[in-house]
Amino acid sequence: MSKRILALVLGVIMVCGLALAGCGGSSDNAGNDQAADGGAASSNAEEYKFTYNGTEIAMKAPVAPILEALGEAKSYNEETSCAFEGLDKSYFYGSFYLYTYPQGDEDFVNMVELVDDTVKTEEGISIGDSKEKVEEAYGADSYNGINAYVASAGEMTLTIIMDNDKVSSIQYAAVFE
Amino acid sequence: MKKRVWLKILIPVLITVLILLFVQQLLMPKYMTETKEGAMISEYYEKDNHGNNDVVFVGDCEVYENFSPVTLWNEYGITSYIRGSAQQLIWQTYYLMEETFKYENPKVMVFNVLEMIYDTPESTGDSEKREAYNRMTLDGMKWSKEKWNSIAASMTKQEKETDGYWSYIFPILRYHERWSEVGAEDFRYLFHRDAVTDNGYLMQVKVNPVLGEFNKRPLVDYSFGENSWKYLDMIKDLCKEHGTQLVLVKAPSLSPVWYDEWETQIEEYAAKNDLLYINFLEKQEEIGIDWNQDTYDRGLHLNVYGAEKLSIYFGQILKEECGIEDHRSDTELSALWTNKTKAYEARKEQLLLEYQEELDSEQ
Repeated sequence: MSKRILALVLGVIMVCGLALAGCGGSSDNAGNDQAADGGAASSNAEEYKFTYNGTEIAMKAPVAPILEALGEAKSYNEETSCAFEGLDKSYFYGSFYLYTYPQGDEDFVNMVELVDDTVKTEEGISIGDSKEKVEEAYGADSYNGINAYVASAGEMTLTIIMDNDKVSSIQYAAVFE
Repeated sequence: MKKRVWLKILIPVLITVLILLFVQQLLMPKYMTETKEGAMISEYYEKDNHGNNDVVFVGDCEVYENFSPVTLWNEYGITSYIRGSAQQLIWQTYYLMEETFKYENPKVMVFNVLEMIYDTPESTGDSEKREAYNRMTLDGMKWSKEKWNSIAASMTKQEKETDGYWSYIFPILRYHERWSEVGAEDFRYLFHRDAVTDNGYLMQVKVNPVLGEFNKRPLVDYSFGENSWKYLDMIKDLCKEHGTQLVLVKAPSLSPVWYDEWETQIEEYAAKNDLLYINFLEKQEEIGIDWNQDTYDRGLHLNVYGAEKLSIYFGQILKEECGIEDHRSDTELSALWTNKTKAYEARKEQLLLEYQEELDSEQ
């Protein structure tokens, strides 16, 4: 009798174990999870990239070689995220900000914001440019109907914010799902 | 005969359920030594933590790291608790408030308005990280209608597409692959937890000064989302229904940056609904915050020194503008809070010791 019960218990546990092993869902300690997709698919040719003095900055690209090529930043800031390890960092290079996110032991490009007209996108758009020039570069379809042109490609978005029909901000941002 | 057949089925089923419950308990993260934020929500249910709070803060790190209930008690005799969790979202705050009213009827509920910036679970970004944050708020709640509703409001699309509600009902579905990470902490805290907070305040003693001004990156749209407004209205109505004063605050954290456009919307809402709103960013000088000394993470949150300053400042407002009583002459409460103060001081001493050791090892 007792052996039968034991066999039955073990049988049920095995079935449950197999079911659990096969089921979906995230696996880690919730508190130790980190951002997904870190460092993945950063060199997709379809994605918009910012290039500064020959250094290509693609979203979700490992940032260490980029920082080395860019040289010393004019200012640096960092932020922790509640409960998670690692720092979100920002580097200011005078004409643009470079933001990073941590993944494992490495940092990756999260965002680039252009802040003056000494730099431009690969499509030739810089701060102060006209609406017509932006539409020529990214198409009128990319207008959000309010105040910005938003061009998405792969795992990134390029946002060009307009103020009085002039470009006031250009932002490349990684997209996370 | 029939009875024996039933027993033959029932006993194995019961034993299996017990074993699975034990395994589930073992596999669930305990949040005792790392990521303590995950252990905070459940602490409220301890008998000494609820039932007599005049002020309850509900929200994210901008409340649980910036206000010290023990300071509010020692300076003003104000009883308070912080129902905080990491990146708590406004719908989670609402359901925690709703649940809080089952345990007590505070005179004031404090809501930190930064939560207005997230309109949907997806708006916070990476969904895996969001799910982890959801867990830290939801797993710790006792089962109730409020927990169920909070889960429904919180799940990301990815969660809905995979295990959905089931993994909240049976957390073993979420944590089963933790078996390879199970360590001493999982056994030590299998059936009990230590308090990681002091009435919801997560103490930090380190000093990491602000490096520089945080960039105010322009946004496409500064409007708070419809869902955020809906829940803020629900919070307002809930408090009104219970005769509780809702106080809106913006903690003095420098990042995430607080835009003027957001400030205008909150000011207008507060004025329209006759709510007290205090933006502590505008009161930094009066509070006496020194960003070289009073932050442990470069301006995002205050350390214990900053939190005590802010609590002294806010306590005066709670006393004068909200009429919160001084309970220090109440012997029962006084005894309770004397113990809480001792625990707070002991924690501070211990954390300072650890910090000093860390500094020494770096030299």
